[in-house]
Amino acid sequence: MRLFVVCLLACASAQAALLGAISVGGVRPDLFVLLVFFLSPRVSPEVATLQGFVIGLCQDALSGGPLGLRAFTYTFLGFVTAWLSHDLYTEKPLAQFWLLLAGAAGASLLAFSLLAFFVGLLPLVPALGLIAPEAVYTAVVGFLLLRLPQVRAAFVRAI
Amino acid sequence: MSILWRVLTRHRRAVILAAVLLAAFLLMTVQVRHDRAVVSFVRQAVLFTVSPFIKLTAVTVGGVNHVWQNYVDLRGLRQENLRLQREAVLLQRRIDQLEEQVLETQRLQGLLAMREAWRAEFVAARVVGKDATNWFKTILIDRGSRAGMRRNLPVVGPDGLVGRIVEVTPSTSKVQLITDPLSAAGVLMQRTRVTGIVIGNLDAGLRVRYLPLLADVVVGDQVVTSGMGGVFPKGIPVGRVTAVERKSGALFQEAVLQPKVDLSRLEEVVILMNWERREGFETGSRRQP
Repeated sequence: MRLFVVCLLACASAQAALLGAISVGGVRPDLFVLLVFFLSPRVSPEVATLQGFVIGLCQDALSGGPLGLRAFTYTFLGFVTAWLSHDLYTEKPLAQFWLLLAGAAGASLLAFSLLAFFVGLLPLVPALGLIAPEAVYTAVVGFLLLRLPQVRAAFVRAI
Repeated sequence: MSILWRVLTRHRRAVILAAVLLAAFLLMTVQVRHDRAVVSFVRQAVLFTVSPFIKLTAVTVGGVNHVWQNYVDLRGLRQENLRLQREAVLLQRRIDQLEEQVLETQRLQGLLAMREAWRAEFVAARVVGKDATNWFKTILIDRGSRAGMRRNLPVVGPDGLVGRIVEVTPSTSKVQLITDPLSAAGVLMQRTRVTGIVIGNLDAGLRVRYLPLLADVVVGDQVVTSGMGGVFPKGIPVGRVTAVERKSGALFQEAVLQPKVDLSRLEEVVILMNWERREGFETGSRRQP
């Protein structure tokens, strides 16, 4: 519980105040979705469901979107990630990257569908132009975070 | 009762998932029905809890950046010549400070000129955070209800309209930028006085909708707020028309705008207070900043 709160606060602070410096073309990685990915496999699907809801609610409160949009998305994502974590667990780098990419893109598409349902039909092409780079960037950052021990070891060896 | 409990227990996982999804769905539904009390409470509670950490992070990043620029970057020079390095550090620090002061002075002069021109009370604020998603365009500023902030106050930059305050905590406020896809404001073409509604877009662009099909709108036209709706004062520069779209069969034409303010590089903004009690926002009588 304490780890969850600390991670959530760190994630919220970094997303709002830090990531502007590493944005590419105005697109930043989504740390909240990575938080769902990284925390959910460690707990039961029931707990992951609630964690996803709280993470999404926090992101909704810090964004201009409707409250509940990301909460709904991450509830679902947290449940699915926890439920399938044993089946999808892999150490293969490429597979990890594709799973992160699929998860990030899937979460964004689900959120976009909900937004279209509640706010009205939004233009799809600009949305895809945002969803795709955001998902790729998020997957790259997530992959690097997963590989942090190896990256660190390689760096130490190099110096 | 016991049968129901047994079913609930057996399908606990599905029940929890359905209940939480339903809660999230209801939250969104409540907003669509414009019942904002619950939503506003949740937003403010989260913002109140998280915003001190965001401010702390922003301050820490600023400090680290300052140290990096003034010390770490210059470490290589020390290896070449210690004396020159010390001088370089001192001179570089002075130059950095002076350049920063010049830039800040220019920005503040712009804000002061705007205040003179519009004769409104204002509060200056620094931007301490950005939206937590790439989809929506909001910023977090370091002024809250303790500084007199409240919902729907207009926020401007030295060159024009930035947005409006949508959430307030005691020490911070969230500003919805005009480029946010959920933002809308009444505007008029400065040259022809044709009115329309400027809305944000997912690609961070601006479009003016509901312009009469036969209205005279050309590329280069300046667009200002119309004052209709009561949120924004009349005459605040919004942007410049970069394209006009007339689709066959459509009842209205649309214009694509280039915002006056570079919203991706905002550092300071100004919140217009009590503008409704003052005059002078009309563009015809307004002195240019």
